[in-house]
Amino acid sequence: MKLSLLFLSVGFILVLLQTTLLHLLPLGPFVPDLALVLCVYLGLNHPTVGAVVGIFVLGYSVDVFSSPVLGLNAFAMSLVFLTAYLSSRCIWIHNPLLSAPVVFFASWVKGASLMMVWTLFLTMDGLGIGGLKYAFFDAILAAILAPGMFALLKRGQSYVEELRMPL
Amino acid sequence: MISFFRRNQVLLSAFLSVLFSLYIIAPAAKGRLRADPIGPLLMALMRPLQAGIRATILETKRVYEGYVALRSVSTENEKLKARIVELEAETSRLLEVESTDRRLRELMEFRSGLPPGSITASVIGNSASTWFHSFILDKGKADGVEKGMAVVSPLGVVGQVVSVTSKNAKVLLITDPHSGVDAMAQRSRARGIVAGSLENGPIMKYVKRSEDIQEGDRLITSGLDGIFPKGLLVGSASTVRKKSFGLFQYVEVALAVDPSRTEEVMVVNTGPAQAKD
Repeated sequence: MKLSLLFLSVGFILVLLQTTLLHLLPLGPFVPDLALVLCVYLGLNHPTVGAVVGIFVLGYSVDVFSSPVLGLNAFAMSLVFLTAYLSSRCIWIHNPLLSAPVVFFASWVKGASLMMVWTLFLTMDGLGIGGLKYAFFDAILAAILAPGMFALLKRGQSYVEELRMPL
Repeated sequence: MISFFRRNQVLLSAFLSVLFSLYIIAPAAKGRLRADPIGPLLMALMRPLQAGIRATILETKRVYEGYVALRSVSTENEKLKARIVELEAETSRLLEVESTDRRLRELMEFRSGLPPGSITASVIGNSASTWFHSFILDKGKADGVEKGMAVVSPLGVVGQVVSVTSKNAKVLLITDPHSGVDAMAQRSRARGIVAGSLENGPIMKYVKRSEDIQEGDRLITSGLDGIFPKGLLVGSASTVRKKSFGLFQYVEVALAVDPSRTEEVMVVNTGPAQAKD
């Protein structure tokens, strides 16, 4: 319960940061996708039904503040969680640095799923190379931030788990 | 059977979550949107935090600018320094007030030329994703903002309201690939749709090969989409290319407004049914 509350609060703070402070960074149109890093972390380290619901709500929150169509980010994030969860059966990340390539790959999964939904459900021009550029820079940014965030989340999780342990 | 579900509960719930997301998105294919029960709640929850963070950012910026301006007076004595700090801070505050005042005055002058029922609003939050270009306004349904209203600034077109709660509104910016503004060249009246693009910035689509459009042409709203009033500046044609095939020309647009730097906007009421003033 405490762990769920921790991740819920972290998700809430990340969306808040993404809609405010992170826009002050001199990165042009790019916003570091911290919510994606949390999604990958949960898929690898805390895969529960609660985490699935949390990730859906996180994606939905991003949609509420960004997307003209509700459900786009909820879909992409759920798919990233599913991919991370399936990967967790064959990879186990002890070193936070290793999270960078995993998040890089996950970001591409997210980008590809967004473009797929756009192509299937919505009419939109100008994807192509521009879409690849967005996906690449989004993935690089998320991958750079992943090790730090993984270390922080791991520390937070360990702290809460220690609190839960009987004396 | 039960043990199978229990063993694969995460996998199955994640799969269901993906399917449920698609179920939410599906009506968009027909141009409809599902009712959103959670969005207004989330926005109401975030609104004070976003506004607080914005105020903190502005205050920090003001203090920092005051500090930077102060560094050059290191030879002055402590008393004068303290006085200068006060004066610099005051000047900085006054400059900010003056700048805000100038912007608001421009907005007011601009407003007088707009249809009645136009609303002044401030930007309190930005898009949470790289893939979407949008921002959140501090005005909502309670202030008369309705879905589909145009959002403009004295410099030109900014975007369109795509969703609205009682106290907030989400604006899809003109730079977003999902946006579209019916526009025409002021000189030749050549028409097309200005929309965002992930390729090389905004483009003007569906400009016929036979139309006369040149680089540098000013592009204004045609008013035919029923959303944006006629004659608002959209930008200028920065690149015009006629390929050897195809029905249309390729036109890149340099927008008149940089939406990422916009702080105050006007929400314009063009529909006669929506007029409230």
